[in-house]
Amino acid sequence: MSEDFSDIPEELYLATEAHVKYIQSLDTRKDEYDYWLTEHLRLNGLYWGLTALHLLGHPDALPRADAIDFVLSCQHENGGFGAAPGHDAHMLSTVSAVQILAMLDAFDELEKRGKGKEQVGKYIASLQNRQTGTFAGDEWGEEDTRFLYGAFNALSLLGLLHLVDVDKAVEHIAACANFDGGYGVSPGAESHAGQIFTCVAALTIAGRQDLIDKERLGRWLSERQIAGGGLNGRPEKKEDVCYSWWVLSSLEMIGKTHWINKSQLAAFILRCQDMEKGGISDRPGNMVDVWHTVFGIAGLSLLKYPGLQPVNEVYCMPKSTISRIFGR
Amino acid sequence: MANQGGSQHGIARTSRVRTEAQRQRDLERIASYRVLEDDLRARVKNPRTAYADRASAQHVFDLTTRLLRLNPEYYTVWNIRRRALLVLLPAGPKARRGDCCDRSSCSCLGETQPSHGCPKAGRSGTTADDAGDHTSEENDEEKKQDDEETEKQTRTMLQTELEFTIPLLIESPKCYWIWSYRLWILRQSISRLPVPVARGIWQAELALASKMLTKDRRNFHAWGYRRHVVAQLESDALGGGSMVEAEFQYTEDKIRADLSNFSAWHSRSKLIPRLLEERGADEKARREFFEAELDKIHNALNVGPEDQSLWYYHQYLMLNLTTLPPNNEHTITPTLPIEDRIAFLRNELAEIRDLLEDYDNVKLIYEALIDLTLDLCRLEGKRKPDEEEKENLREWLGKMKELDPMRMGRWRDFEEGLRREWGVEA
Amino acid sequence: MESLSDTLWDVVICGTGLQQSLLALALSRSKKKILHIDPNDFYGGSEAAFSLQDAESWVKGLTGGFNGFFKSATLVKSEGTTGLGPSRAYYLALAPTFIHSRSALLSQLVSSQAYRQVEFLAVGSFFIFKPAQDPCFRPTLTRIPSTREDIFSSTAVSTKAKRMLMKFLKFVLDYEESPQLEQWRSHADAPLTEFLGEVFKMDAELQTYVLTLTLSLDGNISTKDGLATIRRHLSSMGVYGPGFAAIYPKWGGLSEIAQVSCRAGAVGGAVYMLGSSIKEIETVQEDKLLRLSLSSGDTVRTRLLVRANDSSGFGLSISRLVAVVDSPLTSFFQPTVEGAPRPAVAVVAFPTGSLTTPAGATYQYPVYLSAHSGETGECPNDQSVLYLTTLSTPDSNEILQKALDAFLSTEEAQTSHILLRLQYEQSGGSTDLCAENCVITLSGTPLSLAFDDSTLDPVKEAWKHVMGEGAVESEYMNFPDREGEADEDEANE
Repeated sequence: MSEDFSDIPEELYLATEAHVKYIQSLDTRKDEYDYWLTEHLRLNGLYWGLTALHLLGHPDALPRADAIDFVLSCQHENGGFGAAPGHDAHMLSTVSAVQILAMLDAFDELEKRGKGKEQVGKYIASLQNRQTGTFAGDEWGEEDTRFLYGAFNALSLLGLLHLVDVDKAVEHIAACANFDGGYGVSPGAESHAGQIFTCVAALTIAGRQDLIDKERLGRWLSERQIAGGGLNGRPEKKEDVCYSWWVLSSLEMIGKTHWINKSQLAAFILRCQDMEKGGISDRPGNMVDVWHTVFGIAGLSLLKYPGLQPVNEVYCMPKSTISRIFGR
Repeated sequence: MANQGGSQHGIARTSRVRTEAQRQRDLERIASYRVLEDDLRARVKNPRTAYADRASAQHVFDLTTRLLRLNPEYYTVWNIRRRALLVLLPAGPKARRGDCCDRSSCSCLGETQPSHGCPKAGRSGTTADDAGDHTSEENDEEKKQDDEETEKQTRTMLQTELEFTIPLLIESPKCYWIWSYRLWILRQSISRLPVPVARGIWQAELALASKMLTKDRRNFHAWGYRRHVVAQLESDALGGGSMVEAEFQYTEDKIRADLSNFSAWHSRSKLIPRLLEERGADEKARREFFEAELDKIHNALNVGPEDQSLWYYHQYLMLNLTTLPPNNEHTITPTLPIEDRIAFLRNELAEIRDLLEDYDNVKLIYEALIDLTLDLCRLEGKRKPDEEEKENLREWLGKMKELDPMRMGRWRDFEEGLRREWGVEA
Repeated sequence: MESLSDTLWDVVICGTGLQQSLLALALSRSKKKILHIDPNDFYGGSEAAFSLQDAESWVKGLTGGFNGFFKSATLVKSEGTTGLGPSRAYYLALAPTFIHSRSALLSQLVSSQAYRQVEFLAVGSFFIFKPAQDPCFRPTLTRIPSTREDIFSSTAVSTKAKRMLMKFLKFVLDYEESPQLEQWRSHADAPLTEFLGEVFKMDAELQTYVLTLTLSLDGNISTKDGLATIRRHLSSMGVYGPGFAAIYPKWGGLSEIAQVSCRAGAVGGAVYMLGSSIKEIETVQEDKLLRLSLSSGDTVRTRLLVRANDSSGFGLSISRLVAVVDSPLTSFFQPTVEGAPRPAVAVVAFPTGSLTTPAGATYQYPVYLSAHSGETGECPNDQSVLYLTTLSTPDSNEILQKALDAFLSTEEAQTSHILLRLQYEQSGGSTDLCAENCVITLSGTPLSLAFDDSTLDPVKEAWKHVMGEGAVESEYMNFPDREGEADEDEANE
């Protein structure tokens, strides 16, 4: 079904070429101080950039072999990945590594030249708190539903979900639910669109959508759209492009995307583009970054905005990748 | 992943092109940053030598200080700092008893590096370990002094660490890694210091969390952090007792300062079940409590009917009426008879309808009226709405469509549901 | 250094009241040659602040007629005043005016860096005085709720009234926009109370609440002016922190601003002479220059003279009563919301009709009382200063005394005793500026309890005259931080 975007003014269009160039330029900015200060996000950045490129229909805009080499160079003996060579292993970068390898259809390289899928699975499984079911980010870190989702995401892509106690984890998510239908970062915490995405996606991966109060959650999520078309992450807060993903994908997972105005949201995302130099920002007129760029594009893709590859709402990866891996 | 680090939030886009001088300055900054980074990486490449003795650990530690001031997002460097600190911290009296690696106080399972902090890495000498073998009074006295010295040293070091992060937090209040490091340091105080001392440190942390919430009332991290700190202060490990009354009052203060502070309303809803339980509230007390909360939210809605935060809390209170036994032990009035629930709902319908007299263009009022009407039908034996109610439902739904066309898809689904489940034809 | 008479001054400023002092501040980086004199031997003119001794000599001196804005001053210390501290422990302000957070005066103090020298205190709650219904009871004070949270917490108004207040608060924030504009335009010149009654269906009590926020001296402000004043109040709420809309400069209010401004003038090179008046003005060199004979015996030449119009008897006239009481009145100076600073000033309004004249008639104007805690530096910490103001009438002096007594019989203030009373009448200026033959005359500061931004306009006008063609609007009161500049200055010298 194609969506109706005819009320979007003509000067608002998707600046595909500019975005591709912007993403390609990200690794060439070595004379900028910020490039070095953000090395702890390198692997995540590669996932964000690569996903955006796949959705923009330019999957080869970054050289595949280089990307695989870089990912494998970040792996530790224990199977986990750091954000870049020399950085400690962490759940977030490990998930990004798995997602990149999945998109590049390169799990076999992980077996041949890396420490192997099984080892990655063991690393992730080692971060589960077997009492509560939730996950930590690393050997020191705090627990957060983000890490739980990350673990489910990567393990399911690797076909290793059985390494962890899925039921316990599901119990933990249920404990994070709030009366408004949403989910918080831990039991007792306020509902937040980002955490809702992680919980709903994790439940979807676990096949336990039955635990979701879809009516209430849908109401809460749909109220996130505010005047101007953008979405916020909590009541009485400002809109931000990244919620175009967290809120919209959650609505999609519970089948209620039509509860918000898609055309107004698409227009809001399009207004956040830097039409000249590429990239998308949090709000119109602000500085762009790759993070808002991928979630803006993924949002547009979920809205079925023309010219984009379809995105999978649970994994934030191309649908084609997910079908290839799960054979559906 | 929902990692916001490194992203640009709320910074205006500029078309500024760097001048050559600015580029050169960047290159210089990069060079000095990388020299520091390379130095640290070379030192920790071999963990066996990096933390082998106090001098090496101290060197590594000092490098992390410099690097983190330049880049507090560098999580690996925080980890290196932890490893170095575990060598530098004296093995305290608790540690000598072998519970420095006590996992019970850790909220995560992760701390797999305890060996660095165990007795063998104690102070420069071995007297402390040896002392345990003697029983003479003289030795006891010496041991006591040693313990005091150790405690003082530990406390100073942990305090210094907490202070180290303050300017970084002021600069980057939402940097996850700094908060994570702070919590780790705070946990060290539990395992390494006498309970009253550790408690003092955690209490100071609560004050910091309050200060942050005064600056940014809805800072998500700060609310979560506060909950965590309170939970620790209440724990046996810190010899604590319940703080639920104080925290409940805190939400009250926050709401009085800003009615739209949903974080505070939310926190309130989470504290109530415990509050009532700890007060040992009987049926009457619970009912009175519920009435007082209803009164409060009516008062709030009366001045802010367009405020979502208030309506969410209102919904929470309504759930108290509509959630029936046996699955309602966490509600405010679990034993409320069904007739009373119905009476409350009817009264509520009248209260909310009264708002329409002065605020007839607020969508959320119509939404609440529809919810209340259907709740009433459900409680009254899942009956169908009567003609008057049907008429009201149609009118209110029409108003919602008119006032909030953005969510038209939702209203259409709702309309369909009304027809199918409740026999309300459009 | 050149002598006074050798120098050709660009401007001689006579008087160190707020306006002249702000002019000195505005010119402080202009490199103009400025001689700043004052006939008084104290700074501040009509905005001065006094120790007890200074106040006594000011009262005595008033008969000498140095400052034509004031008359009928008396100062009475209560019998057996052991409670009074030493003279210097007091700093009684002639202009206890507070400043709304959104006032242009504050932005000018910030952009001119002068704010660094001033300590600002929060102005807290506004209360309404209600006479006792029955002689057996005490009169009461009710706090006026002026934010949504205030209205929410208030127990003084009914549920319905709260809605009206909320609607009005929302209305007033955008009152100049459509569709609000259409709602009040036809009422613009009618009394505000009438508009509130007709359009917002407010009862008399609610109207009083809103009217009090305007601090209107005659209690009969027009809808147009009233809405503007209330909007200023509401939009100022929370600007500098939670729970307050206005601030008060420590050490005598506007007196402190005048002194800080003069100090900036002196740092910029202006020459200051107190106790010097102009005896004679003579135009020389085909009206291009003035020759001034000063009471000090000096004769100076200047291109321009800026002075105050000190002829009294035009504009409004008010009666003031300043009382020092022996209680800290702590309950008035409580922060009302979490995170709010402790206020140093509270305001009590005695609405029209709440006081009666000696003849038993209802007094036709409101009375306002500003309570200042010791935090203002105006009295010791265990005492308070009460500044009462009302329009001058034959009864006003006695009415002020009655209001003071009534205030002191409320629950909150009942234990206090009066240690000292200073009473006087003051006439106000207008914002006109008159410039002819090298003489610019400022007409004085309008009388109001909250600072009136129109006070600033003639200062800027005068500045333009002095700067002539060199006047660049964007540079008015807009100075870089001196601290950052210091190195450069040294390098240049």
